[in-house]
Amino acid sequence: MGTLVMKFARHMIDFVQLIGLLLLEMLYLLRRPSAFPWREFMANIFKSGVTALPVTGLLGFMIGIAMSYLMSSQLRTFGADIFIVNILGLSMIRELGPILMAILVAGRSGSAMTAQIGVMRVTEEIDALTTMGVSRILRIVLPKVLGLTFVAPFLVLWTSFWGLAGGALSANTELGLSLRFFFDYLPMVVEPVNLTLGLVKGVLFGFVVTLVACHFGLRILPNTESLSASTTSSVVTAITSVILLDAAFAILTRGIGV
Amino acid sequence: MNDTTTKPQNPPAPVCEARHVWTEFGDVVIHRDLNLVMERGEIMALVGGSGSGKTTLLRHIVGLTEPSRGEILLFGENLHALERERRQRLMTRLGMLFQQGALFSALSVFDNIAFPLRELKQFDEETIHTLVMHKLALVELEPQHASLLPAQLSGGMIKRVGLARALALEPELLVLDEPTAGLDPDRSSKFVALIKQIKQTLGLTVLFVTHDIDTLIAMSDRVAVLADKHIITACSLEALGEVDHPFVTNFFQGIHARMERS
Repeated sequence: MGTLVMKFARHMIDFVQLIGLLLLEMLYLLRRPSAFPWREFMANIFKSGVTALPVTGLLGFMIGIAMSYLMSSQLRTFGADIFIVNILGLSMIRELGPILMAILVAGRSGSAMTAQIGVMRVTEEIDALTTMGVSRILRIVLPKVLGLTFVAPFLVLWTSFWGLAGGALSANTELGLSLRFFFDYLPMVVEPVNLTLGLVKGVLFGFVVTLVACHFGLRILPNTESLSASTTSSVVTAITSVILLDAAFAILTRGIGV
Repeated sequence: MNDTTTKPQNPPAPVCEARHVWTEFGDVVIHRDLNLVMERGEIMALVGGSGSGKTTLLRHIVGLTEPSRGEILLFGENLHALERERRQRLMTRLGMLFQQGALFSALSVFDNIAFPLRELKQFDEETIHTLVMHKLALVELEPQHASLLPAQLSGGMIKRVGLARALALEPELLVLDEPTAGLDPDRSSKFVALIKQIKQTLGLTVLFVTHDIDTLIAMSDRVAVLADKHIITACSLEALGEVDHPFVTNFFQGIHARMERS
């Protein structure tokens, strides 16, 4: 038990330290904007954002279909067909879009980032960078964090859109609601502030997933056991913290938009 | 040699100087009051038993880690005391070859060697191309090797590319961690000859760690022995025979046998 607490404390200290280093680098970038790692930033947007489009879209679409199908059969028994738009709209935009995105990105990009940083550590590539006067935080961690944080809200938008599309399609076949009606009625019953909340969550989740991934990547020791253990912990921790954050967020914003 | 008390800073500061360096990891002491001075143009070998802290010292010198007490001066300046831009400028004056090469595995040989040049943001692509090709020729690699990825190279070639990258900015101090480890005797003697030749051409100061007696005999002007947590001596190979320390006597017997054979 004691060792577990110690381990957790050490993780927290390192994590806070990483955030501190990141902040220092951002302050440095304010003074020297020309040092911003544009190439790496763009590469990360492409790798964790653009290439994630098919899978997030498909998953959102499938979940949308499944949820809408189950809900419509329930709602029909109460004769409350029309509420499918409220329920589906609210849950997709506010909850499922951001969460689905975060889980997929943690599994896809988070694990890749942890493994990449870990291998770069093991092969001493990070040390080589440092001896060339290049800051590893500035060149490796910062572009990942900023890249994914930047692209996450767009992914949320994309995932939610496909979720709603799947839901609308399912509602159309099950309840006979026209697609046109679904999307006309949606903004009337779901307050726009829910979309803002979803996007804010997207930014937050993207940031947390990358930070956790980089934290675990930087702790990898030169052996295969450590590599696999860290990659696993990275994904599990990222998903757990995202869900915890989501719960906290739900409680804090319970008065808004519902 | 162990005496490194205050020296005048101006003209010419030693290339590298360790002053009263202590390294502690928790309760474990790695270096205890370690002192070392490297003069311009010499090739110094750093030897010592496994786990004696050679690599740690090397990492201190290139600025990867910081001693817990004392200071390391490069060209008369403490890396960690400098603000960022001056530190970066100072670091361009040293090149390091890692034991496993530490090439950026995602980049081709060309981009690896071009990396430090591009970092400076002072050269256009054409100049960089010329410089990289020149460095490739310097380490005796063919131009067609430039497009290969590190995974496609043999161990000897990786070391050469790593050397070319370390030399890209024409550093004054070259630091080598086990330059011949993992090479067969033939390759390793060729690599040693190459380093010596480059040292002649560029007028470098070289510091290297080795376990290999042949490399030691072939390359070093002076040998620094790290034992009992500090540098017990830094002298020429011949003078090592007069040092009375179990590690040195043991080590010197090996050298002696090898020298007599050749």
